[in-house]
Amino acid sequence: MNQFARPPIVPPPPEPSPPLPVPPPLPAKLDFTGNRNGFLELVMRGAGLELVTLGFYRFWLVTDIRRHLWSNTVIDGDAAEYTGRGRELLIGFLIALAILMPIYLGYFLISIEAEHLQAMASIPLVLSFYVFGQFAIYRARRYRLTRTVWRGVRFWMDGSGWLYALHASLWALLAIATLGLALPWRTAALERYKLQHSWYGDLQGRFEGRGWDLFKRIWWLWLASPLAILIFPIPFFFAYYKAVEWQWWLSGIRFGEVTVESRLQSDGLQGFYWKVIGWSMLLSMGFGFVIASLAGTVIGINKALGAAPDGLTTSIPIAVVTVIGYLAFALGLSVITRLYLSRDLWARVLSTTVVTNLAAAANVAAKGDLATAIGEGIADGLDVAGF
Amino acid sequence: MSDAVIYFDGTSSRRHAATLTFADALEIAVDGETKARWTYADIRRADSGPGTLRVFCQSAPTLARIEIRDPALAAELTSRAVNLDEHHLGRRGIAKIIGWSLAATVSIVLVVLFGVPLAADRLAPLVPESFERRLGEVSEKQVKIVFGEKTCSSSPAGQAAFEKLVTTLRAAAGLDTAVESAVVSSEIPNALALPGGKVIVFDSLIAKANSPDEIAGVIAHELGHLKHRDNMRGLIYNGGTSFLIGLLFGDITGSSAMIFASRTLVTSSYSREAETAADTFSIGVMQKLGRSPKAMGELMLRVTGKEGGKGLTIISTHPLTEDRLARMSREDQTIKGPALLSDTEWQALKGICGKGKV
Repeated sequence: MNQFARPPIVPPPPEPSPPLPVPPPLPAKLDFTGNRNGFLELVMRGAGLELVTLGFYRFWLVTDIRRHLWSNTVIDGDAAEYTGRGRELLIGFLIALAILMPIYLGYFLISIEAEHLQAMASIPLVLSFYVFGQFAIYRARRYRLTRTVWRGVRFWMDGSGWLYALHASLWALLAIATLGLALPWRTAALERYKLQHSWYGDLQGRFEGRGWDLFKRIWWLWLASPLAILIFPIPFFFAYYKAVEWQWWLSGIRFGEVTVESRLQSDGLQGFYWKVIGWSMLLSMGFGFVIASLAGTVIGINKALGAAPDGLTTSIPIAVVTVIGYLAFALGLSVITRLYLSRDLWARVLSTTVVTNLAAAANVAAKGDLATAIGEGIADGLDVAGF
Repeated sequence: MSDAVIYFDGTSSRRHAATLTFADALEIAVDGETKARWTYADIRRADSGPGTLRVFCQSAPTLARIEIRDPALAAELTSRAVNLDEHHLGRRGIAKIIGWSLAATVSIVLVVLFGVPLAADRLAPLVPESFERRLGEVSEKQVKIVFGEKTCSSSPAGQAAFEKLVTTLRAAAGLDTAVESAVVSSEIPNALALPGGKVIVFDSLIAKANSPDEIAGVIAHELGHLKHRDNMRGLIYNGGTSFLIGLLFGDITGSSAMIFASRTLVTSSYSREAETAADTFSIGVMQKLGRSPKAMGELMLRVTGKEGGKGLTIISTHPLTEDRLARMSREDQTIKGPALLSDTEWQALKGICGKGKV
């Protein structure tokens, strides 16, 4: 501003009228622009490559999936970007192996000592893997967040993975002690920790969702849980819970003055879960039919050739067919799950979310360093990997 | 047209409406002022939604981005930035991943088939005896929890007979006095060799036996496991293969089933080999004592029945009972040595758990 500017000539308003209410800032739209067929093609091709590489391709597939989801997530007209790469995940996985190997060995030796003192005393030691898994979850989140870029500025995380693991484990003990009633408060406390240590440039995040608000909406699930024995209500319950949790979680996210609000309906995710169930039933029926008919053919051929009914000529082809069929079935299932529960679910969640006060993030200074993918590697090794 | 080009300088999230000039390098101007010059050869494509070309420059701040929403401008830049898509994983990149994955798979399979058995054979003798004994004490505790804690010792005569039998066999097997043994009361007709040198025979196996030679063959078989340190070898082998096979399949969906299946396949073949070796050992001991090696096979057949035609033979941990009996019968000989137990001793052994079964 020019300090020497003359005072305005315009006369001041004659009388001090009450200040007009500031119009609320318009909420920014969130959009998902991804092409569904393009995504389907991506995951199908990825599943095929996973089969060919016996799973090694997973690092590149999961990277491609994230790149697709991130770069089609448009916030206020600008798409986000995922800058992680498959090679980083592979290296993280290899380093994680080197870390996990001595841990497994140490676990084995300690459990022998524990068993020596008291038979079956080593069972509680398994819990140490739970703590370790929580650590990995935190570090994996850090990796993903530091690869998330919007408007040329990256998200990042500080905080300690071990402290988080301690939090998560103590809350888990409390949740067990209260037969699950404390779970909403556990979720709230952990999200508070994670978001408090999440940053967009120099804009710090926080979480304002409260455990009580989540509890109010899901307590009846706790009462209804004995019904889960009937199996068929489980997907209803789960889809309801997931929708409520998404809505509650998103509506609690803040970055500085920026607020997020979700209007996801509590029945908004039912369709996706039922579609996954329907497709997997179809797939398993197809799988069973193919295996049965192939086995029948093999036995028929053997009979015609006069081979023994239980000879290797029968069991080996059937075993090979079963293994390949099973792999195809599992990969088909992964395609379905990714299509409905990653892509479609994400698109639905985005379309029901608005962001207000985005102007507060209009001029954020870049900050924060990249995190390594070792956490993701450990999470992969311990089978706790997420999105 | 003001939104046709947006520039993010990588130091803040501010959106700059920019103009591009295609000179000998790409010039980015904001409000008429040139902010950056990007060499065409360093410009790379970044991910973006449809309808937007988003690029970065390898010699500019890492997160600086230009977003072009005007197709004509995008085409112009695309034609000049010759290396635009060079960093992307193309067909060659994927072929490389496939090639290396197959190489890794082959090497893991080779290590599982040849390396791990070799490592198990070489490492097992290096494990200190004291550690193995500790392991044995642990597994004995577990065995007692699973099968009930009932070591039979109520009948001194039976105990004496059992000890006589074990001592004779141990001497013939060339094992030292560290070998311990016990009869445990259980419904399951079986016998075990625990790490660290302890043989456990369940009394229902003794009940099913018709002669001391049958039990002697079984004990000699378990002594064979001790002599070969099969427990330690099995432990190292199973640990190694589980780890490697887990590594191979990673977390591809449904991998646990695959891991379980392939591990069962390789470890059971390893276990069958160890069982065959223990049978060989038992045959040798019985021949040395001048008794019938075939007796054990007959007892086994009485316990398991004919096994052929039931289930998949490639996943069972033991060779087929009838094959084992056939092999022992081939090695059979006329009895030359003295009886291992007298009739009274044999009756005492049968009553060792005080149940009076005959």
